[in-house]
Amino acid sequence: MAITMKVNGMEHQLDVDEDTPLLWVLRDHLSLVGTKFGCGRGLCGACTVQIDGTPTRSCLTTVAAVSGRNISTIESLVEQQPDLIDAWVEENVAQCGYCQSGQLMSAAALLATNAAPSDEEIDSAMAGNICRCGTYGRIRKAIHRTAEGRQ
Amino acid sequence: MNSLHLRNLSRRNFLVSSSALVVGSYAYTTGFNPVFANGTQSLSPSVYLEVGADGTVTVTCHRSEMGQGIKTAVAQVVCEELEADWDQVVVAQAEGDAKYGDQNTDGSRSIKNFFVPLRNAGAAAREMLVQAAADSWGVAPDECEAREHAVHHETSARSIPFGELVNAASKLDVPTNPTLKARENWNHIGKARIHVDAYDVATGTATYGADVTLPNMAIAVMVHAPVLGSSPLEVKVPDSANENARFIGIEKINAAPGPIGFNPVGSVAVIAEDTYTGIRVAKDLEITWSESPNRTFDSDTFQQSLRDGVKSTGKVWHEVGDADALLSNAEEKIDAVYETPFLSHAPMEPPSAIANVVDDSVEVLAPVQDPQTTRNTIVGVQGFAIENVKVTPTLLGGAFGRKSKPDFVLEAVELSKRLKRPIRVQWQRENDLQYDYFHAPSVQRYEATLGEDGMPIAWRQRTAFPSIMSTVAAPNMVEPANWELDMGFTNTPYRCENQSIEATGLKAGVRIGWLRSVCNIFHAFGANVFIDELAEKAGMDPIDYRLAMWKGMDTVQGALPSEPGHEFKIERLRNVLNRVRANSNWDEKLAAGRALGVAVHHSFLSYVATVLEVDASDPDYRVTDAHVVLDCGTYVNADTCVAQMEGAVVFGLSAAQRAKLTFKDGAIQENNFDGYLIARMPDAPSISVELVNSEQLPAGVGEPGVPPVAPALSNAIYRAGGDRRRSLPLI
Ligand code: FES
Ligand code: FES
Repeated sequence: MAITMKVNGMEHQLDVDEDTPLLWVLRDHLSLVGTKFGCGRGLCGACTVQIDGTPTRSCLTTVAAVSGRNISTIESLVEQQPDLIDAWVEENVAQCGYCQSGQLMSAAALLATNAAPSDEEIDSAMAGNICRCGTYGRIRKAIHRTAEGRQ
Repeated sequence: MNSLHLRNLSRRNFLVSSSALVVGSYAYTTGFNPVFANGTQSLSPSVYLEVGADGTVTVTCHRSEMGQGIKTAVAQVVCEELEADWDQVVVAQAEGDAKYGDQNTDGSRSIKNFFVPLRNAGAAAREMLVQAAADSWGVAPDECEAREHAVHHETSARSIPFGELVNAASKLDVPTNPTLKARENWNHIGKARIHVDAYDVATGTATYGADVTLPNMAIAVMVHAPVLGSSPLEVKVPDSANENARFIGIEKINAAPGPIGFNPVGSVAVIAEDTYTGIRVAKDLEITWSESPNRTFDSDTFQQSLRDGVKSTGKVWHEVGDADALLSNAEEKIDAVYETPFLSHAPMEPPSAIANVVDDSVEVLAPVQDPQTTRNTIVGVQGFAIENVKVTPTLLGGAFGRKSKPDFVLEAVELSKRLKRPIRVQWQRENDLQYDYFHAPSVQRYEATLGEDGMPIAWRQRTAFPSIMSTVAAPNMVEPANWELDMGFTNTPYRCENQSIEATGLKAGVRIGWLRSVCNIFHAFGANVFIDELAEKAGMDPIDYRLAMWKGMDTVQGALPSEPGHEFKIERLRNVLNRVRANSNWDEKLAAGRALGVAVHHSFLSYVATVLEVDASDPDYRVTDAHVVLDCGTYVNADTCVAQMEGAVVFGLSAAQRAKLTFKDGAIQENNFDGYLIARMPDAPSISVELVNSEQLPAGVGEPGVPPVAPALSNAIYRAGGDRRRSLPLI
């Protein structure tokens, strides 16, 4: 079916089945491969995007459900929150990096609603994002660093 | 023309480049030797270093990047000797080719094995650039100095940037024995560097296995046999699939006969124009599978067999005095059994591989830890000529040992050959957990009797686990191999004048492989918890007890000879333990409800001591703080070493706290992250890391941080008033 969606400020018309998860539309149809596939079941957060600012697992979100909504992916973060990206680089957060798009999109959503999150608030906002390389401590630091930079 | 290759490099051994000085270092492990070629196995690895006429230095990293920071580290080492400006260095990823020497990115060996060859490559290029400058000025090279990407002649206050020297330098012979910089002049080695891919990762532009799309490429979503050894018989495709224009078809792959090795397992591949079509059709297939003897495999039964395995004498690997007699006559002995379950690597990136077979050649792009073995395995299975097989690693979205086994790549090659178009195989998480090369489950039994001073007078230790060799070499190789036992068992630092060290192997009905730290995980667990138990019996502090056990000891000898310069030295083990004692304030009184646990282990030629602090008021004994001390000899990227220790604590906590896999009727029971429980952010403690400032040879970094974590947690739980937990996972 024909679906209209707005991704990173651009409108797209697509002919895909309405039950297709947003993740696969982004990756396979729009070539936005920054969003990653980790579990397909909403358990790991690798596929996190924002829908109208809310962090959302794109592997569980059908394309029909986001028709007409504003979707932003990691590819737009450099324009939205470049200081967050800088903090990620300066803290040398990433190891393999595969989880980091999802981590960044969750972190960006957290900072948009909580200008100075505590460790506990970070932990609970980020608990849905697995990092098998174990970069959690640096993620906390990069979020704090961004928050401090915005004071 | 301002482009020339170095004359004494064989044509097949350098990247063809214009306007560039290309230095290939073909080094034996003992030194630098630019005369090479033949690509024989006896040659040790090398890198390419290319200096362009614009001054850009390209370092070709022949090891795979999976988060351990190797691309950054190789560049640091080359940059050091070359006297290059870090901002003008780029890192390229090498494809699989014997000309590079070993590319098996595994066993925490990249820096250990390539530190000298990399330095030689950089130093050779530096000397050639200096010579070229000296020639142009008509002065002696030793009056000139390379510094900040240029050669300088101080007395005449002249300098020439590297790029402008490339043409002349490329006509010179490669020095066979370049002078390496003195350690006190190092500016790059040992410093903290941000990873070269950090920005790409943070902007979502780094490229992993599934991120490349070739023209006319189709996706293959795999349905693997529920039981190892089964092959697909009948496959019923639902009508809905056949009506879907984006569904292409199915392909059956039979389980390979003979040893399991890296062969694909039995599967049905769903070929589709896009991934989701493949996933949906895969879900609705009705498949009947052939029988397999592995259908009876049950992990509970297997664990019981391992327990039985340590009840009686196994193969004796070390025996001094008469431990058996002393233990059977002892009035009192400590007899403890430790257990660990099946574990999975579960890298965040599930296996994925692209293959494009055209006639009798193939190009592969995939997240593989060993592009050369991948290439050779493709040659072996498909019969292509080796020069017609090209394997290039992408970034690896985590690997931990999983992606050194190219079974998923072989699927892509086979499917591309059949469909005559590029194929990208995509595993789902369920495939990944179902067909991992699992970390072996194990049981250890430690028995000791103590003398009046509280120290052991007799000691027997037994281990039982399925050998990796039974999967990757031959099914009858079930006995633990010497290299598996030298991971914390036959090379135990806990020695006694009456001692027996024994091992037993059993064949599992699933694939066994190496996972970050391998057998050190279970051997460090048993040994470190047992030592705490003995210390308690002796009424001694656990750290004091370890130190007392090492009194008078100098070197530990395992089943295999030590590499020169890499002997297992008690002094270094003692040092990391003493350092962690100080850093964790071990001897100070803790606040109520807090407790510390310690463990120390030598693996991958490095020494790590870890103290964990737990919150006893939490029923799950949350780990709040971790203190790690690493002695890995000379290190290259200080921040990478710290990051690897941090990651190792979290990786180790996954295994320590909740991760466990089980099998019933030959089939895995946990198929996603709701069953296989990995540490998440709230589980991550605050971690402090000290790197020992050492001038010893470089040793492993990626793995040795993992083994002490689980025993330190068990010991902390006990000291927090909990029970003695001898079986992983602990929570
Ligand atoms: S892929 Fe969506 S949560 Fe894991
Ligand atoms: S950086 Fe590798 S999974 Fe997070």
